[in-house]
Amino acid sequence: MRIVDCNRIAFGAVTRYPLRTSMMLLATSIGVGSVLLLTALGESARGYVSAQFQSLGTNLIIVFPGKSETSGVSPGVMTGTTERELTLDDARALARSSAIKLFAPVIVGSMPVSRGGLERDTTVIGTTQQFAEIRQWEMALGKFLPNVDIDRASPVCVIGSLIRRELFRDEPPIGKWLRLGNRRCRITGVLSEQGTSIMVDVDEVVIVPVSYAQMLFDVSGLFRIIIQATEGDTMDRARADVIRIIKERHYGEEDITAITQDAVLSTFDGIFQTLTKALAGIASISLIVAGVLIMNVMLVAVSQRTREVGLLKALGATRRQIIALFLTEAAFLAVFGGVVGLGFGYLVTSSLRAFFPEYIFMPPVWAAAGAFGVALCCGLFFGIWPARKAAALDPIMALAGRQS
Amino acid sequence: MITSDLMRFTLASASAHKMRSGLTALGIGIGVTAVVLLTSIGEGLQQYLLAEFTQFGTNIISVTPGKSETFGASTAALNTTRPLSLADAEALNRVPYVTHTNGAVMGNAEVEGNGRSRRTQVGGAGPNMPLVLSFNVTLGKFLPPDDLAAPRPFAVLGSKMRTELFDSRNPLGERIRIGGSRFRVIGVMESKGTILGFDLDDMVYIPTTRALELFNKDGLNEINILYDPSASTEEVEAGIRRMMIARHGGEDFTVTTQEQMLDVLGSVLNILQIAVAGLGGISLLVGGVGIFTIMTIAVRERTSEIGLVRSLGAVRRDVRRIFLVESILLAGLGGVGGLICGGLIVETIKIFIPALPLRYSIPYAMAAEIVAVLIGLLAGVAPAQKAANLDPVNALRTE
Repeated sequence: MRIVDCNRIAFGAVTRYPLRTSMMLLATSIGVGSVLLLTALGESARGYVSAQFQSLGTNLIIVFPGKSETSGVSPGVMTGTTERELTLDDARALARSSAIKLFAPVIVGSMPVSRGGLERDTTVIGTTQQFAEIRQWEMALGKFLPNVDIDRASPVCVIGSLIRRELFRDEPPIGKWLRLGNRRCRITGVLSEQGTSIMVDVDEVVIVPVSYAQMLFDVSGLFRIIIQATEGDTMDRARADVIRIIKERHYGEEDITAITQDAVLSTFDGIFQTLTKALAGIASISLIVAGVLIMNVMLVAVSQRTREVGLLKALGATRRQIIALFLTEAAFLAVFGGVVGLGFGYLVTSSLRAFFPEYIFMPPVWAAAGAFGVALCCGLFFGIWPARKAAALDPIMALAGRQS
Repeated sequence: MITSDLMRFTLASASAHKMRSGLTALGIGIGVTAVVLLTSIGEGLQQYLLAEFTQFGTNIISVTPGKSETFGASTAALNTTRPLSLADAEALNRVPYVTHTNGAVMGNAEVEGNGRSRRTQVGGAGPNMPLVLSFNVTLGKFLPPDDLAAPRPFAVLGSKMRTELFDSRNPLGERIRIGGSRFRVIGVMESKGTILGFDLDDMVYIPTTRALELFNKDGLNEINILYDPSASTEEVEAGIRRMMIARHGGEDFTVTTQEQMLDVLGSVLNILQIAVAGLGGISLLVGGVGIFTIMTIAVRERTSEIGLVRSLGAVRRDVRRIFLVESILLAGLGGVGGLICGGLIVETIKIFIPALPLRYSIPYAMAAEIVAVLIGLLAGVAPAQKAANLDPVNALRTE
């Protein structure tokens, strides 16, 4: 039997029962489609998180006081409360490393801000002019903090767009005074709308010079130092430099933690990839169910087409040819089902993309290829038994329409 | 047709094609197994997390600095112009139904002792902490109720800190240095393990006032309040709010009750559980497609039989019922198989990997079985209707 003939007979058998065939296609395509949808969901969550991290800037190293022997987070380290603080001088010393392009000391806290009769509690960030450069913030109005010495506690501030709306409405805020706790500072700029990034709503912050924040909160230690390494492969060198410089300044004791953005990103990436794979695996169970259905229907087909098999055998078809014939039919069902499922999956994800453009609903290529492959394998695997059963039929009995 | 006949008839026709019926039920069975397995994982996780959170007791309220509108920490935990003070913690003792309070500070410091040193978490705690957080000492005793302004420099070690610094030696009475200041060890806490990746045993507790000095802070991270379990949480919460507003002149703090925490946690976990069950349900759906296909084939094959039954006096309703019952039977039996199979897998995993928190979720298992039967019903409707609508004369003639 030529391959063309084999394909033609199998295709004929598939199209002879349109309802039955379309049901098997539906079953397979539900499986393939759900693999695509779920992995697209997982991927978009991963993409969202990594975009959040990327929006913080590139080549970042985050330094905070305190160090934990055991890995993992702990409130003590995360809040940066420790007996030996990171100081402004520590931050300034980092300028010595050639691998460090920009650095910004950061103090974060919460306090009431008011203007006229309006008051609200808000997050106040104390930092330097380089912070805006690292975070790639755009200004909506005015300019960011002045580029002066770190020690200068100039009474100026930059506000987020929501603070501007709430406290100033339509008035121009530049040059106006804002009351922070019991001190005042002059507004030099308004940030353009940024939205929430890593748990902090940037539209709701007030940014002041770091020394001024030290005064406001009456603290000396820094919460974080954000460092941007120079372009190229300098991250590891920059991190080593940071630890070495601060260790020297802290009497040889390594009491800080420096984490690179890449390390955090790859941890999250790993978590989400595992999650996506688990989702794909769970959805693939339905492909096995579809395979069982294909086997069931093919078994029915074998008994219904006993005469046909008998005729083929009488005409000289070998066992292998009969097996090939039925396996081709199973493969047809699986492949068509897979194609329909892929089409369905891509259709749904692309329409989701159209409605929610901020998320990247895109099934990964491995998921599409994998789902298709699993569907095909299931079809072939579950087709083997019916095919063997057909091949084992006795030609004379089969011609008479009897199975044994 | 009487019901017993109907049942016998359907059972006979289902067992006439054992292989076919078995495979159809298998499709549904795989789906139910998936649902059972996935929800067992979800349920186990839920129980595990709830147990982690309730190990401190359920009648706890915590006050944190800064007003936070949403669930989550305010940046006031880091720095604030209106800190929570130890005096606040003391004053909250006077709120009705409050039995104990504990002002807590958390930080990271170098701890040296017995010639070794280790960077670890240092917690500032009051004498009532073991009561408030139901966290007991195994050796010695906890920090004594000293003068708040000048407590004696005593320290209590977490169980991991004790082994790290002193191995199995008795640490009581030993001197240790925390961030350069000297403390005397007077107790060791029982082992609590890790909670959400944070090792509670890798800790040293010192009096709160000393911790504030050590970290050069003027505010507490948190005040934990234990109240009389017979009192209503709302009432206690309102009392705490009143007291704090009277002391601070405004609401610059956040009150979180353990109940709220558990509610939020519970609802998040429930949503997760439903989502996971839904994922397993995809396979059930595919199984339903299988039932529909097989029933359609069966109707076509048994056309002459239908004609015979009709000519013997069965009405359309009877024919419809024959096929509907068969389809429900297949789905139901498959579902039961899935329930058993899922249960067996869960038990096997429990035996071989006892660390995994698995728990057979009976409500979800029941729901899976009900959904399976419903799918059988829905998938059977169209073929059964088709069978019922056959013309008896033509049907009888069909070979």
